[in-house]
Amino acid sequence: MTLDTVIPARVLVTKIGLDGHDRGSRIVAAYLRDAGMEVIYTDPWQKLEAVVALALQEDVDVIGISSLATDHLLVPKLMKALDEAGLGHIRVIVGGIVPAEEEADLLKAGVSRVFHPGSGREEIVEAVAKLAVDAADDRTDD
Amino acid sequence: MNKIDAKVHSGGSDRETAARDWKSGYQAQVREGKTVRNRSGLEIQPLYWPDEEVDATYDAKLGFPGSGPMTRGIYPSMHRGRTWTQRQLIGLGRPEDFNGRIKKILKSGASALSIIPCNSVYRGVDANEVEPELLGTCGTVINTVQDMEISLADIPIGDISIGLNDPNPFTMLAQLLIVAEQRGVPWSKITGTSNQSDYISHFVANHMFYRLSLTGARRVQLDAIEWLAENVPNWNPLSVVGQHMQQAGATPAQAMGLTLSSAIQYAEDCMARGLDPNKFLERFTFFFDISISFFEEVAKFRAGRRIWARLVEERFGVSNLRAKRFKFHAQTSGVDLTRQQPLNNISRVAVQAMAGILGGLQSLHTDGYDEVFTTPTEGPAKVAIATQNILKHEAGLCDVIDPLGGSYYVETLTDQMEAEILRVIAEIDEQGGMFKAVENGFVQKAIGESALGFQEAVDTGEQIVVGVNAYQEEEEETVLPAIDRPDPDWMQGQIDRLAAYKANRDQGGVTTALSDMRTAARSESENTFAAIVGATRAGATQGEIIAVLRDELGFGRPLVVA
Amino acid sequence: MKQATPEMPALARRLINGETAALARAISVVERDTPQAIEILRAIRPHLGQAIVVGFTGPPGAGKSTLVNAYVAELRRRGKTVGIVAVDPSSPITGGAVLGDRIRMAEHTLDEGVFIRSLASRGALGGLSASAAQVADLMDAADRDVVILETVGTGQSEVEMATIADVRVVIAAPGLGDDVQAIKAGILEIADVLVVNKADQPLASQTRRQLNAMLGLRATAEHPVPVLSTDAINRVGVADLADAVTVVADRRDRQTDRSALAGRTRHLLAQAVSKAAEAHVMNSRSEKVEDILHAVQDARLGLTDAAKQILGGIMGYNANEQ
Repeated sequence: MTLDTVIPARVLVTKIGLDGHDRGSRIVAAYLRDAGMEVIYTDPWQKLEAVVALALQEDVDVIGISSLATDHLLVPKLMKALDEAGLGHIRVIVGGIVPAEEEADLLKAGVSRVFHPGSGREEIVEAVAKLAVDAADDRTDD
Repeated sequence: MNKIDAKVHSGGSDRETAARDWKSGYQAQVREGKTVRNRSGLEIQPLYWPDEEVDATYDAKLGFPGSGPMTRGIYPSMHRGRTWTQRQLIGLGRPEDFNGRIKKILKSGASALSIIPCNSVYRGVDANEVEPELLGTCGTVINTVQDMEISLADIPIGDISIGLNDPNPFTMLAQLLIVAEQRGVPWSKITGTSNQSDYISHFVANHMFYRLSLTGARRVQLDAIEWLAENVPNWNPLSVVGQHMQQAGATPAQAMGLTLSSAIQYAEDCMARGLDPNKFLERFTFFFDISISFFEEVAKFRAGRRIWARLVEERFGVSNLRAKRFKFHAQTSGVDLTRQQPLNNISRVAVQAMAGILGGLQSLHTDGYDEVFTTPTEGPAKVAIATQNILKHEAGLCDVIDPLGGSYYVETLTDQMEAEILRVIAEIDEQGGMFKAVENGFVQKAIGESALGFQEAVDTGEQIVVGVNAYQEEEEETVLPAIDRPDPDWMQGQIDRLAAYKANRDQGGVTTALSDMRTAARSESENTFAAIVGATRAGATQGEIIAVLRDELGFGRPLVVA
Repeated sequence: MKQATPEMPALARRLINGETAALARAISVVERDTPQAIEILRAIRPHLGQAIVVGFTGPPGAGKSTLVNAYVAELRRRGKTVGIVAVDPSSPITGGAVLGDRIRMAEHTLDEGVFIRSLASRGALGGLSASAAQVADLMDAADRDVVILETVGTGQSEVEMATIADVRVVIAAPGLGDDVQAIKAGILEIADVLVVNKADQPLASQTRRQLNAMLGLRATAEHPVPVLSTDAINRVGVADLADAVTVVADRRDRQTDRSALAGRTRHLLAQAVSKAAEAHVMNSRSEKVEDILHAVQDARLGLTDAAKQILGGIMGYNANEQ
């Protein structure tokens, strides 16, 4: 008889900056839930400090930033703030509308992956699951 | 089929009488009746309808354009008399850039202008209050009367229709009115629409535009409608928006039903204020998304037109024909466009635009093929306008009014869409009206379900999207125009300009005007929009005005359902 | 004065010293129920008992999260630090969850004095996760004055909450109290404070009267259960709520309420046994279980007897011993 609990990955799905369109983030939250993950879902316009506080309190493995206007331009600042708060192990992905040249900037800043419109359910779920494992492996304070 | 002149001038059956009435309405709108012929030399009539014996339901369900059920169009001559307004959205970082672009667009055929403000303006904050990376990336930074003046330099604002995309509490409109005042243009000559005045739709589906609480927004909206009716009589203060909800995932019928429910709510609110529906409904307009589901969209618009004409009579006792007209602007849906193989989007936009035109719109914005990446850059914007011109001049779409009328499919579909739309309206009635239905999350939940349903169809391949889940290309060959990111120096210039403006204005006057506005908001009967205009005249910025209103009337927090 | 013993795990030490990151991490460890978890729980035992645990439950639509948000603001005004455990149900099919209670409490995100943790029920039958009680303990040990446990009133969660919380607040919305729903088994029995939220709605006072009448019909309780009226959005009645909670909390002698603690532990153990047994029966391929299954299907064996047999097989359970 086994009682092993499957530990669900914990993912923060949020929006920063100015835009408020949340059709995509709701769909991704549903994808992740249907794949057995726990999604902490927020309202839009989160300040960067708030994202750090959320990630800290909820001890998430992955942060998903939904960006359909140009709010992804703030993500490099977020990456720095996470690092400074000792949360560098958390994997960050960005989904939405990101021009190719700016995608490269994001990856350079430490973002793990950028998802564009048309990304499929399996693609997203598999990527997040793997990133969650990577994040867990990278934890330094257990 | 029918011979227009032979039948019309003889006999006295109901249909023939109606046809005669339509003909005179048509001739009043189209003074020079030109003969239109197609390439094969055949003469094209403005309208076609069945012989009396063939179809008995015609009069009840279709009738003639401009009267009766209105299904076929709100005016007797529709696009054959006057083509739709080409109204392209433009939003560029600095006011002077906007000014330059709008002049070019007006030269290339657009007949009206529409301003998209920067996202920071949508959020109700000034240039110095937002992360600098985000300034001017998606629209024009307009914080003051000065910015508005520069944006509209040399544009004859008294002669051109202006679409303002500023949501409640309409600070951009206030700025426009002060610019007009300063130029000596009487407010009676200012025409246009407050495109984003539907605060309910923002609460539900475009949170960025949502600034004040629901009750606060309601107060300002009614004040504005009242004040504008007196002071800017040719301005349309209300545009009820279906676009946001459809883009959030509502089905076309659902979007139409929810939009009509919002319109009903707003009309009831106006009547509770003591306003006369026969008057204020004349200035109600609508704004819809056009998806690429071609026939569905045509049917959606025809059904909407028919329902609205009947509904305002049944619910509000309206008899004024002008108040029954379902006037709408439409925009091709960016949600259907793809990042993959972006040139395909040109075809998509053409099909969407056709659906809107054949659906009987009054005004159209066509998206650029790079819509998925950015607000329109110049090249794709030109193609978007050319698309409209091609449809207008080369495809013969303006030659006949409601040319799809009578198609077995389109008429059946129109009836079915009508039934579905009425069902949605009935559900909202049951919730106690649209205001209550969005307060308790009913609408948001329904839209979310539709969104998930559509996504599943795409995920499973049931709905094919070319280039995305079928016909993919390994190597993308299209080179897109470079993204226009605002020059940081230019944006710093904008921040400096704002600081200079504030330093040079009469600060005492501003403080007093803002205090007056606060008092108006607190009172139950003073007109808050009049106070907003006053504060703008005194030199208050949009951020300052909105901050005070948020304080008094409530900060708008959309209901986010996880 | 906190004494950290040298053998205590580093995480526990940091948690007791008030480090937010350590609290967050410890909660994850405890949810996993690893060997390290039990060490942490043992290490914090001497540091328990100073927090008041307040449970909030109510049906969807009653405005629970909004009310908790307002209550937290009031607590902060009174200088109290707060920990919140917000529990949402996991999907029984996929095991995943979308946790959105925090959305209504966004104003407190940047306040160091408020720590919010979203938990999924993770298959717990009643709706409260097995570790909710332990998470509340961690927050207690981390020196939070008030620990709020927030859960949707479905299944048996009210009853479960009763064993964990010092003060049980049950929220009703006007009209939702639709008679039958309001007297759903357990609600009136466990409530220490009843709140009718959305006081601005026309049915609010009627609902209050109904609840008072139903309370009157109960066997006389030692202490009268107050029925309060709040308007969470406009922050009306929230100070009264905070006062009522304090009154109930002061009545409890938390430090030495050993019997209650034992009862709670027994209840949690029963839940864990249930979960384990369920997993066994659902996943087992053993012949013995298959035989019993067939016997039940053929109506040769009743369900209760079958259950006893299976338990007997699992752990030498003898139905005749008690």
